Amino acid sequence: MERRFPFLTANARVAVRLTLVLILVAIVLAVARGPVAVGQTTLNGLVAAGYFSLGAVGLTLVFGSLRIINFAHGDLLTLGAYVTLGISAIGLPFWPAAALAIAATAGIALVLDRIVWEPMRRKRASTLQLFLVAIGLAMVIRYTIQFFAGSQPRSVGQDVLSAIVVGPFHLGALQGLALIVGVAAATLVGLGLAFTPFGKKIRALADDVALAEVSGVDTRRMIRLVWLVAGGLAALAGVLYAAAVGSVNPNFGFLILLSLFTAAVLGGIGNAYGALAGGLIVGLAQEWSTLFFNARWKPVVGFAILIVMLLVMPRGIFGSGRARS
Amino acid sequence: MNWRRRFIAAVSVAALAGILTSSALADEVALTIGKLLELTGPLSENAPSQDKAINIAVDYANQAAQSAGVPIKATAISADVQGDPQAALSAARALVAKGATVFIGPSITPESIAIANGLTIQKKITVWPVGTSMRLRTIKDEGTIFRTVPPDSLQARAVAAAVEDKLGAAKGKVLSIAYRNEPYGEGLFKDLSAAWQAKGGKIQGPIVYDPTQATFDSEAQQIVDNNPDAYVVIDYPDTFAKVGAALVRTGKFDPSKLVVPDALAFSTVPSNIPPQALEGARGTRGGSDTSTQAYKLFDDLWQKAGGVEHFALDANSFDSTTLAILAAAAAKSADPAAIQGKIHSVTKPGAAKYSPTNLGDALKAVWAGQPIDYVGVAGAFEFAPNGDPTISRFDIFEYRDGKLHVIKQIDAAE
Amino acid sequence: MSFLDADFWIGVGVTAGVYAIFALGLQLNVGFTGLINLGQAGFMAIGAYAMGMLVVDAGWPLLLALPAAILVAIVAGALVGLPTLRLRADYFGIVTIAFSEIVRYALQNAAFTGGNQGVLGFDGGWREFQAWASNELSPIGLGGTIQLPLLIAVWATLLICLAALTILQRSPWGRVLKAIREDEDAAAALGKNVFAFKLQSLGIAAALAAVAGFFLALNVTYLYPSEFDPSFTFFGYAALILGGFASYGGVVAGAIILCALTEGLRFLDLPLSSSQSGSLRFIIVGLVLIILAMFRPQGLLGSKAEMQLRS
Repeated sequence: MERRFPFLTANARVAVRLTLVLILVAIVLAVARGPVAVGQTTLNGLVAAGYFSLGAVGLTLVFGSLRIINFAHGDLLTLGAYVTLGISAIGLPFWPAAALAIAATAGIALVLDRIVWEPMRRKRASTLQLFLVAIGLAMVIRYTIQFFAGSQPRSVGQDVLSAIVVGPFHLGALQGLALIVGVAAATLVGLGLAFTPFGKKIRALADDVALAEVSGVDTRRMIRLVWLVAGGLAALAGVLYAAAVGSVNPNFGFLILLSLFTAAVLGGIGNAYGALAGGLIVGLAQEWSTLFFNARWKPVVGFAILIVMLLVMPRGIFGSGRARS
Repeated sequence: MNWRRRFIAAVSVAALAGILTSSALADEVALTIGKLLELTGPLSENAPSQDKAINIAVDYANQAAQSAGVPIKATAISADVQGDPQAALSAARALVAKGATVFIGPSITPESIAIANGLTIQKKITVWPVGTSMRLRTIKDEGTIFRTVPPDSLQARAVAAAVEDKLGAAKGKVLSIAYRNEPYGEGLFKDLSAAWQAKGGKIQGPIVYDPTQATFDSEAQQIVDNNPDAYVVIDYPDTFAKVGAALVRTGKFDPSKLVVPDALAFSTVPSNIPPQALEGARGTRGGSDTSTQAYKLFDDLWQKAGGVEHFALDANSFDSTTLAILAAAAAKSADPAAIQGKIHSVTKPGAAKYSPTNLGDALKAVWAGQPIDYVGVAGAFEFAPNGDPTISRFDIFEYRDGKLHVIKQIDAAE
Repeated sequence: MSFLDADFWIGVGVTAGVYAIFALGLQLNVGFTGLINLGQAGFMAIGAYAMGMLVVDAGWPLLLALPAAILVAIVAGALVGLPTLRLRADYFGIVTIAFSEIVRYALQNAAFTGGNQGVLGFDGGWREFQAWASNELSPIGLGGTIQLPLLIAVWATLLICLAALTILQRSPWGRVLKAIREDEDAAAALGKNVFAFKLQSLGIAAALAAVAGFFLALNVTYLYPSEFDPSFTFFGYAALILGGFASYGGVVAGAIILCALTEGLRFLDLPLSSSQSGSLRFIIVGLVLIILAMFRPQGLLGSKAEMQLRS
């Protein structure tokens, strides 16, 4: 059994442990602050986790297989949301427009790889060069969106007010959707990486490019697939965020980027389940912190946990590979 | 002899005509207004509407001047302050290099102080920021900074009075206050909680939130927890759209218990804010005898111009621009020091009152050298020596069906 | 010609100088020690606020507050480095960026740092000096501009730091640092205390960040938390990479070019709306960064050889 499902068992064990820890913390908090408050903030935290996980999966996938810290990833979220807005302005209803926008963004991510990232790979660019390119690309994407759409806030016109109410707890309908889709997407990507032939090839690529090529993996094709998936997931995250939060402007993807990085690194960068775990931890920790501290400190919570994690468990929750030099 | 006398007379008349014509041409004032806008950066949501407000004011004033026969023409050029004081300083300098002699904007006090200390105090250029922080008044600006936004101390009293008016009394009543984590919110909160507690009321909070966070549900819950008697949310339309939605989703939010300050005052609620978040809510904004007509004029101009919807404090930018043009007309010059010298004389207490509806007449009067008291869209100003408005008149309004209705006016100084 | 306005370009020169001092520290870390320090803005904030608070709250004179602020920043560098320098390079980078953001939010939320209202009024001593200096410069016709004394002060300091770092780099200490960057394990095998060298490198970078923060504070005369966000660090890195990997002189060139480009583009007047002009400016800057990174990866003054040595 161990040999046939090595990946799953190890990850499943970690997942179970993580869930138990989170439940334990929740129970302790409920004793301290009351079950209703804890329950509601847990729901709120899960919603945030939905956005973070979905956004972080693409980020972690690109880093894991291509070693690129893609600072332009946040702007792919913005691109997804704004292309949706553009297409709906021509007359299509929201969700079909979103589907088209996701496909378009995935395509754009692919094109960007062809014209920007691949030439850098061929020249064996250093980490710093890639960093500079990512920053430049982020600027170009964000300000091109702003050039055409303006910087004023826009609503995507979805019903942000309808909520599912169960007893004293409430959850926004669209937020619930974001949560479910986020968790599902991260899990699907993780499962895909573990079990599909594509997944195995991508993992081989992530481990060692030269070795993968020698073993017959068409690395170029796999890289293209990675970008399609990463771009598509980013767009999906952007669309769901826009729909559930209600009001966006061209900066929103960039502003959420650091949280996405935090989630990805916390969970173990390069691992899709890690993106999910990281998102959960950041989302829940931030909302639970409002039970004890003024909400103005919320942004700090994620960063503080990140630092603690990197000192204590540097590879992250699902991580593998060297963390110390 | 007859011929000589006639000849001299003819030459004198011709010369006189020549002098009069050339001095009339020399009197044509070409004013370049520098727009300091948050075109990029964390505050970029502000820029499109502020830009539109200033452009509308320039066009309207130019038309009024033309119909009134007053030879003044204003043009506006823009630069990006990027939400960063260092960039703001550079932006201001670029505009000065391009000929600007008065600045409308920037939006936040750090940018205003950087520009004042690094450029405009020395060059005697008047700056008209939109920020309300009292920090701005701690620097010696030598009379170069003017604001058409009411200072926090006055607005806080107006908000407290509005809440008291709604509840019938203040003693023992719980006011839940929330604000966006930045200087406008923090400054207004401090003054408001002091004012409310002075009336015998209690404060719940403050609930402070960062605009970049992903969800606002926990904060919304804290605002409505324990069923306070009223809530005050000090915020801008972009974040309030998200906070308002979260408030409605709590299921315990009663918008008629909400009071908001002027950054959330619009004649029509913008489309990105869910209407249920503001239906029946009340608020305060600068007011005057002529508020209603002035706001109607402003809204008509806004609708006609098309483009972006209302945002926060755009009427104030409109007023700042108009005042700058009036001062230039009074000075008959675009020279910065000359403009600075005339601002008090176009907002002089006791002088004849003019409003946007008779801007042409106002321009004629100042061109003729008369002092006037210009009452803008966002209220009268009658600037104190330090450049802050002294008028404490506020409109208290209520939102019905997504539209703003003024229900009464109060004087916050009482 | 409006483009050649003296005040404007002196201002650009001040900004470029601040970024150059800031990025000298980055170069020491990245180019010569192999440390990806993404938290430099945090050290700058600590240095600038320490200076501001010492002058405003404790009444210190400016000239004493600066060295004290540098000391505070160095201590911060040590505190950050002690637990984190053993991490892998990219994880270290992420920790430093988290540190930088925590500093920023703490400055915004804590009451004793002025919170959202910031710190004001620390530049009295500088203003007196600036007035005196402008007076001295008038006889040679240079008294008309506003910030010329600041420009001279920044660039004099920059050149001193540049000289100091170059000398340091040629010393035995500098050679060990380079060895660490190229192959840490080999350096350790030769008996060098790698950790201590890295810590010193980080401390010096923090000190340089504090100096940059000091001049930034004098430039804008108001300390406000958002001035110290990660974008500042990213811009510093852009200057570094543009100017040349492992080249201190390159940092200076990169800072000048990047600031001149970004600010100079303000004079590009096309028939566009204000919002579109604002967006276009940064589209162009972004494109320039991408093109330079792709086609001249070693930067303007760097050497390709130095770059290949890095993994």
